[in-house]
Amino acid sequence: MQNLKQNIILYSEGILNSYSQIFFSTNKVFACLLMFVTFFDIRLGLSGLLAILIGQFTATIFNFNKEQIRSGAYTFNAVLVGIAIGNMYEYNLSFFVLLLMSSILVFFITLWFSTSLAKRGLPYLSIPFIITIWIVVMSSGNFFSLKPNLQHTYFLNDFLPGVFNETTQNIRDYKFANIIYLYLRSLGSIFFQYNDLAGIFIVIGLIIYSRIAFVLSVFGFIIGYLFYYFLQGDFTPLVYTYIGFNFILTAIALGGFFVVASKKSFLLILFMMPIIGLLISSLNAFFNTLHLPIYSLPFNIVVLLCLSALYLRPTANGLKLVGVQQYSPEKNHYKYYNSLERFSAETYYHIVLPIMNEWHISQGHSGNITHKEDWKFAWDFDLRDIDNKSFRLPGDTLNDFYCYDLPILAPADGWIVTIVDTVVDNEIGEVNLENNWGNTIIIKHGDLLFSKLSHLKHDSIKVKVGDYVRKGAIIATIGNSGRSPEPHLHFQMQATPYIGSKTLSYPISYYLTKQNEQLVFHSFDIPKQDEIVSNVLTTKLLLDSFNFIPGEKIKWIVKTDNKETEVLWEIVTNAYNQSYIYCHSTKSTAYYVNNGTLFYFTDFYGDKNSFLHSFYLVVHRVLLAYYEDIILKDKLLIDSFFNPIVKTTHDFTAPFFHYCTADYLFQFVSVDDEHQPTKIIAKSICEGKLFGKKTQTIKSVVTFEKNRIQTVEIVNGTKSTIATCIN
Amino acid sequence: MEKKQYERPIIKSLNAGLMNKFGTRTEYAPMTHIDNVAVKDLIREYGSPLFVLSERKIRDNFKTTKRIFETRYPKVQFAWSYKTNYINAICNIFHQEGSWAEVVSRFEYEKALKNGVPGKKILFNGPDKTDDDLLTAIKNDSPIHIDHLDELYRLIELATEMKVKPRVAIRVNMDTGVYPMWDRFGFNYENGQAWDAINKIMATDKLNLIGLHCHIGTYMLVPSAYGVAANKMADLALGVKKRYNKVISYIDMGGGFASKNTLKGSLQLGVDYVPEINQYAEAICSALLNAGFDKDELPYLYLETGRALIDDAGFLLGSVISNKRLSDGRRATIMDFGVNILFTAFWYDHKVSPAQEFGMHTEDSVIYGPLCMNIDVVRENISLPPLKAGDQVVVHYVGAYNITQSMQFIALRPAVVLIDLSGKPHVIKQKESLKDVENNEVMPDYLKKFKL
Repeated sequence: MQNLKQNIILYSEGILNSYSQIFFSTNKVFACLLMFVTFFDIRLGLSGLLAILIGQFTATIFNFNKEQIRSGAYTFNAVLVGIAIGNMYEYNLSFFVLLLMSSILVFFITLWFSTSLAKRGLPYLSIPFIITIWIVVMSSGNFFSLKPNLQHTYFLNDFLPGVFNETTQNIRDYKFANIIYLYLRSLGSIFFQYNDLAGIFIVIGLIIYSRIAFVLSVFGFIIGYLFYYFLQGDFTPLVYTYIGFNFILTAIALGGFFVVASKKSFLLILFMMPIIGLLISSLNAFFNTLHLPIYSLPFNIVVLLCLSALYLRPTANGLKLVGVQQYSPEKNHYKYYNSLERFSAETYYHIVLPIMNEWHISQGHSGNITHKEDWKFAWDFDLRDIDNKSFRLPGDTLNDFYCYDLPILAPADGWIVTIVDTVVDNEIGEVNLENNWGNTIIIKHGDLLFSKLSHLKHDSIKVKVGDYVRKGAIIATIGNSGRSPEPHLHFQMQATPYIGSKTLSYPISYYLTKQNEQLVFHSFDIPKQDEIVSNVLTTKLLLDSFNFIPGEKIKWIVKTDNKETEVLWEIVTNAYNQSYIYCHSTKSTAYYVNNGTLFYFTDFYGDKNSFLHSFYLVVHRVLLAYYEDIILKDKLLIDSFFNPIVKTTHDFTAPFFHYCTADYLFQFVSVDDEHQPTKIIAKSICEGKLFGKKTQTIKSVVTFEKNRIQTVEIVNGTKSTIATCIN
Repeated sequence: MEKKQYERPIIKSLNAGLMNKFGTRTEYAPMTHIDNVAVKDLIREYGSPLFVLSERKIRDNFKTTKRIFETRYPKVQFAWSYKTNYINAICNIFHQEGSWAEVVSRFEYEKALKNGVPGKKILFNGPDKTDDDLLTAIKNDSPIHIDHLDELYRLIELATEMKVKPRVAIRVNMDTGVYPMWDRFGFNYENGQAWDAINKIMATDKLNLIGLHCHIGTYMLVPSAYGVAANKMADLALGVKKRYNKVISYIDMGGGFASKNTLKGSLQLGVDYVPEINQYAEAICSALLNAGFDKDELPYLYLETGRALIDDAGFLLGSVISNKRLSDGRRATIMDFGVNILFTAFWYDHKVSPAQEFGMHTEDSVIYGPLCMNIDVVRENISLPPLKAGDQVVVHYVGAYNITQSMQFIALRPAVVLIDLSGKPHVIKQKESLKDVENNEVMPDYLKKFKL
């Protein structure tokens, strides 16, 4: 029984998603509206639905992934095929045979394209639909039992006496206003509906689904219209032949779905729409001779070409492709601006400073002494005293230099690939231009990532070629060999394992700088000349507190305004090695990352009133190292902070500017024993801001004790919550 | 143009042969300024004798030493050894630099508290702690370094009464290959006393063992001894982890690093043979890093370095009272300072420089202090230019122990001046007066009057 119920849910979700996927959505309300629209002509609606069911049936027989069936990915092309065929032929037995064949065919074509295009990271869009329809159209000349459909019975229009058509007729009388009418008709034409009511319903659904998508659709359509207007083309026939929507779908796809919506993505649309226009004209000219409809072909071509071009860029500047698809332009947009830093944490190999404690960067990237041209992305380290000297007087022997003979650490795990340990240290002021890098160690961290440490002390290297070293291991000491007039450490990242390789601009994962006796935390940044830098020293209590183990259960007593509830969490790690906290009572999930230096949440799905959601906000980002004066900042998704109206309104202009923001601050307050903490107290503040003015503040105090998070106190406006861990 | 110095004539035997095997000791390069402040002006302003401390030198010493350790070991904490120099201004310089306090008596403990050091950051050392001392330390959550079993038992009793778990460490003594072995403090490593004490602590559950402390000696000239000590300490800490699954929070290596003073009887000058701090650091840090601690359980390294941080930042300025010739013909110079305020003269041959320009000739002489006591000898033999009454001298490396060990014997104690980073002198301890000495005296009524 349970199984049957689950299957019914799965297949009906699959049906709904097949409709909304046409607009790159998984929104159920939108899906219902779209489905409703197809039933304006009951024959079209029915054949569309049938096509989905046939597709789902085929996928099930062939044992394809149930989640894919649920997502509608296999069947959204089938809807279009079903509707198109329904639009072309009258119902009779041969019609249904044709529908059956073409629905199976479109499923196979979908599979083929989904795998072949996936290799290039590209979507298959509605290509399977076009191919299937062409096959049907080309073959149907031979089958005389198929009767062309001539009468369009608009089921709903029969009962609602032309109210909408009359309204739109009025609008049409204004100059340029007929663009609204054309826009609505174009939207309707995606489902082979040629009436305004369909368009109106789709617009409502579109706005419910995504404000950004709506703005994009209008923008794209206007650009297309203006292109025709200025080139004195005739736009109106496009609508009748079910082609005008190409502008709309392309705008949504490239403006906010596959590319993160921004000013730049709108600029991209500005240039892509005329290309759509060109393609429509040229493809029409060609395919008309073959008596084939082009439908969404221009949209498919432009989106695929444009996405390939974006993928093939040597550097991904400017336009940002969506990394993890959230099936909503809004989510894609906010997530991106929210997690710029998190993306970098996941894309870079974590490199730390190769030294212990506070050092002075005597030459940074593009330094004015030797860090030039191909070797500009390097750092030199030394030590300075209160007079900013790197040596004690008289400073004429190596031993007078503070950094001489101090240990050097491996900046990350890796294999030792190259070692030079034969160069004798120079006297102060002399340089060895022959062996200019001096004694050197090169460590391989990845296929195209190496670190190089140079000017080491003669005979100080403690590792051999082929050794595997761990991050932080002492591998040599600082010397004065090579082109080094005084002892210092030269450190660089490079893509090849050779001495003299060109340098690579690569960030240090996490480090601290000292500015006016105040420590500042940096993540994935590049230390600059004359900065005082040091590595982050993690705290065991904090590491232990956030060391969630898959399968671990965490119990909380949550007390909110005198109401006490018990909450049970479980730590889960999925097949993609992503970890999340699952709340049993609210079925919410919060995805997190713990990389040994930082703990941070990445995603939340589920009940926004749950304690897990509050927890997700108040410990959104935590430095796992106790430093009293460091303030950790982050941006939160605005989801949790504004009323739905403000939030929804904000979406319309979000690609251009954000007037709603949510900031996160985290700071440690106290520790019982700095050197072996058993109790640490921290506070965090989450602030929603409208035009820079605070609208909502969530304050919290988190206590770490007994190697876990012991209590979380949250004050959200007038509501206060105290949660205590009772494991 | 300044008036030329008059220098009295001297008669000296001509040494035309080879230099003697020790070379020529030229200690008499004049020192006219300390941190750009004229010695003459200091004496005119604050009197003679006078202790002068250089804040620049103190801070520089501290930062350098801290850096030397921290660039070799990630977790280092210094605690200022109060007994070395506990003038509050000096203590606070160290506290400003991040140093905790290390005290060996109740009065030092109170001093540290009064200076504003949180109780948690005062390490309480020493063999003499009364019940009241222990109670105070427990209340303030100070780490108590246990010296002997009686103290351990007493602490267990007090902890039981107070129903708190004091944070304690044990002091460990050991053979590091250096003579004399300091086995009078703490529990011995080799004969198992240390383990005995640890076992007792772990068995009671009344005390929280957070650290291990050692102090292998003073003025240690062999850095490798610290390596041996650090190894033995690490062995204990790892043993505690293994046996009791208890992570030791810190290993306190004490102090004892030599300063640049010249020990009596040594052939060379201190500056030439005393090890560099980084040699001590290398020995300690590499021993601890290689001991095999878990990455997240690496203990903190505590250091109670006193002398090496402040000795060369202190100067004693004084004036010549008189010259005389002794019966054996040696020249003797009587200064206005003696062992009363320069206690370390008993074990160092202090470097003494004249504070004004002199000619090229020197003469062997004895430096006596002003006390009317035979023991008051500052230098038994020193080669100095001819000095005359009223001339001024600077004694070097006197920052450690002299101010804390000076006494009001025969003469009153002088003022102490600190020259700040900008070169401005500050009096940090006034010159004593009769009132200070008599402050605690009580005169019974019947003794108030007499008639001579």
